[in-house]
Amino acid sequence: LPSGLSQWFPALEVLDVSGTGLAELGAELLALPRLHTLLAKNNRLGGPGSLPKGLGQAPLGRSLRVLNFSGNRFSELPPDLLGLRGLQSLSLGGNRLHGIPPDIQELRSLEFLYLGGNFITSIPPELANLPSLSYLVLCDNKIQSIPPQLAQLHSLRSLSLHNNLLTYLPREILNLVHLEELSLRGNPLVVRFVRDLTYNPPSLQELAGRTIKTRNVPYARSDLPENLVRYLSLASNCPNPKCGGVYFDSCVRQIKFVDFCGKYRLPLMHYLCSPECSSPCSSASQSSTSQSESDSEDEASVAARRMQKVLLG
Amino acid sequence: MEQPVQTETWKAQSLEELVRILHRIFSEDKVSVEEVQALMESYESNPEEWLQYAKFDQYRYTRNLVDNGNGKFNLMILCWGEGHGSSIHDHTDSHCFMKILQGNLKETLFEWPEKKGNGEMTKKSERVLRENQCAYINDSIGLHRVENISHTETAVSLHLYSPPFDSCNTFDQRTGHKHKVKMTFYSQFGERTHC
Repeated sequence: LPSGLSQWFPALEVLDVSGTGLAELGAELLALPRLHTLLAKNNRLGGPGSLPKGLGQAPLGRSLRVLNFSGNRFSELPPDLLGLRGLQSLSLGGNRLHGIPPDIQELRSLEFLYLGGNFITSIPPELANLPSLSYLVLCDNKIQSIPPQLAQLHSLRSLSLHNNLLTYLPREILNLVHLEELSLRGNPLVVRFVRDLTYNPPSLQELAGRTIKTRNVPYARSDLPENLVRYLSLASNCPNPKCGGVYFDSCVRQIKFVDFCGKYRLPLMHYLCSPECSSPCSSASQSSTSQSESDSEDEASVAARRMQKVLLG
Repeated sequence: MEQPVQTETWKAQSLEELVRILHRIFSEDKVSVEEVQALMESYESNPEEWLQYAKFDQYRYTRNLVDNGNGKFNLMILCWGEGHGSSIHDHTDSHCFMKILQGNLKETLFEWPEKKGNGEMTKKSERVLRENQCAYINDSIGLHRVENISHTETAVSLHLYSPPFDSCNTFDQRTGHKHKVKMTFYSQFGERTHC
């Protein structure tokens, strides 16, 4: 791009350099203070030096809202992009990404994230820290599991997961109350109960931690080494309503099928603190025996009805 | 020996002319599928003529009504963002013509599931339709899924359904179970419809 760009067109708001064979975008862009949309699809960007240094601090870094780098050669999300705190829409579809950096959570304003058509194998839980994310596309990748933290994306309206390597989903996915679109086709979702999920019995440390939490044994930070204080803060609640227990690393992984009126069966992974616990999210055909269990059945069935609408259109 | 049915060979020079010729064809009692398909294919897509109907939605593909054919047919434009696709669906005993106006769409054909279907649906074939190509399907041919598999380009298609219908069945590929859904328009005659 010509070096005089920002002097000739200081008021430039939209720039489309798609399909021009560009291998790098240089410093000539940095001084464009009004540029909010940059489209650079189908180019040869991706090598070192594809993007100008200091992007986050430049006038351009503050003005950019929409960035489209689909159809390029990025093998990792360019770290230079992470300073774009105002960025609302980012597309890196059809590149060569093998993963998503946890630092993606720094793109605080992101609403639209398109990462379809890459080689991504896993999703960092930090992705769930994007407070405004409403459209997330992860289709056509190599993803094997979804972190349960993704259910914290309360604004999510559309989640595209088709054509990946998912065998199950986390139970928490039912908590996405604003979800309207969810694509799951082309995944090897299990259709039968999986029998070979191993259960590692809890360690002494885990048993001690569970007792401290469930019996509310008081402790102060000065009572324990730092690493144990941190360990205790990571307790997860067992979803079994009759249990009220916690677990740390040792849990029973169990795939239960949530049945949407016999029309769509989703395998959801449940984490329970012991093999004796049962999950609140059972299929409608199982009868409940106690009041507390049926309360959580109601909760689960409301969530299931909502998800049914999403899955079946 | 039977006389072959006389079918005209039309060439639509513009979208407006295409609509005019369609009205003429559908005013007759008998309509030839080949004739309509050839007519749709003959129209060379000109974005200036249909841009006003091409309203995209961020989250999913949109259906934009262009003409309601005096009740004989519905002509609509579908807008597909990157990665947008449809479910597997049937066509409620109607004829369906689909012409690509921009980009490419992948069509995957499926067999109807068995009555007691409880297994994966059978894929019959798949193909990628290119600009200006026109595909045809009806319930006796099978079911299909249509998707824009591009991660970089949007797609626009022109659909004709006769008779018009506003509900169809969607199918779960893993089990063959079907579910009736109502279809809505994102816009009609160029105006956004909110429902």
